[in-house]
Amino acid sequence: MDINIQFKKGALEICVLVLIHEKDRYGYELAQSVSEHIEVAEGALYPLLRRLVNEGHCTTYLQESSEGPPRKYYKLTPQGEIHMKKLVIEWKRFVSNVSNLIERGSHL
Amino acid sequence: MNKSEFISLLSSHLSALPPEERSELMEDYEAHFAFALQNGKTEEEIVRELGDPAELAQEALGNRVAPQHPLYWFGDRPEGQAAGTPAAQAPAAQVPAAARPRYRKAAPAVYTGLFFLNLLMMPLLAALWAFGLSIALAAAAGIFSPAFLLLEYAFNGAFQPAKAFAVLTMVGLGIFLAIGSRYAYSNITKLSASYWAWNVRAAKGVKINE
Repeated sequence: MDINIQFKKGALEICVLVLIHEKDRYGYELAQSVSEHIEVAEGALYPLLRRLVNEGHCTTYLQESSEGPPRKYYKLTPQGEIHMKKLVIEWKRFVSNVSNLIERGSHL
Repeated sequence: MNKSEFISLLSSHLSALPPEERSELMEDYEAHFAFALQNGKTEEEIVRELGDPAELAQEALGNRVAPQHPLYWFGDRPEGQAAGTPAAQAPAAQVPAAARPRYRKAAPAVYTGLFFLNLLMMPLLAALWAFGLSIALAAAAGIFSPAFLLLEYAFNGAFQPAKAFAVLTMVGLGIFLAIGSRYAYSNITKLSASYWAWNVRAAKGVKINE
């Protein structure tokens, strides 16, 4: 499998958590927002969201909208917020480590 | 591929999921189509953006089979590991909390069933124990019958030879019964213990190895 896909899969969870942390969002809105930043199979979002709910990082609520079906909003739980912060720290550390390594390699 | 093709393909790939979970997930995708169509996208466009149904299904099934953390290629480096270790160590994901031994919860029906079963089994076991005890007591009485004969002789001063022969028989019977009661005791104990263990297993549920 393309290594890039694995990268994106790992990043998707962080993106989703951060986006939900900004404000409560519904599935399609999330798909749109994620696509703005990274190119990813949008369908992978829904299994991920289900997992986040199952693990207690998110809760959902339905909201009727004037047009279209009711929207299922996702809301971050306090536990989810802790999870997000942990992932963000891990992410930053990882990125800086890799960047350092690449930089060192480019000097050779 | 259009919407209905995508939906039916995904649905068939998800057939391993429990029905309610599957229909919930399918609703999510249906809603996605509805919102995207509203935004003026074509079905083909939406399907392309959603991705390959087989891979999506794998994603959904993977989440379910073991609620594992996804493979974090930026995962935690285990404590004490030198910073210069090969990059291959990087994906070492943290041990999921789910790795702890878990017990499948028994349904309430199981408890109810056990209750009524025990209502029947407890008196039965008690009867078995009483039976075993009575054999042991009979054995003891037989073996100690000479002592009773001596007591009678000491207090009443009477001695009947017929009783002496009877005592001889009683001791013989007592020894047989003593051997029998040993078997009865060990077997009834085993039976009770295994019945108890079975009860605990049934009530607690089966240990799952993940």
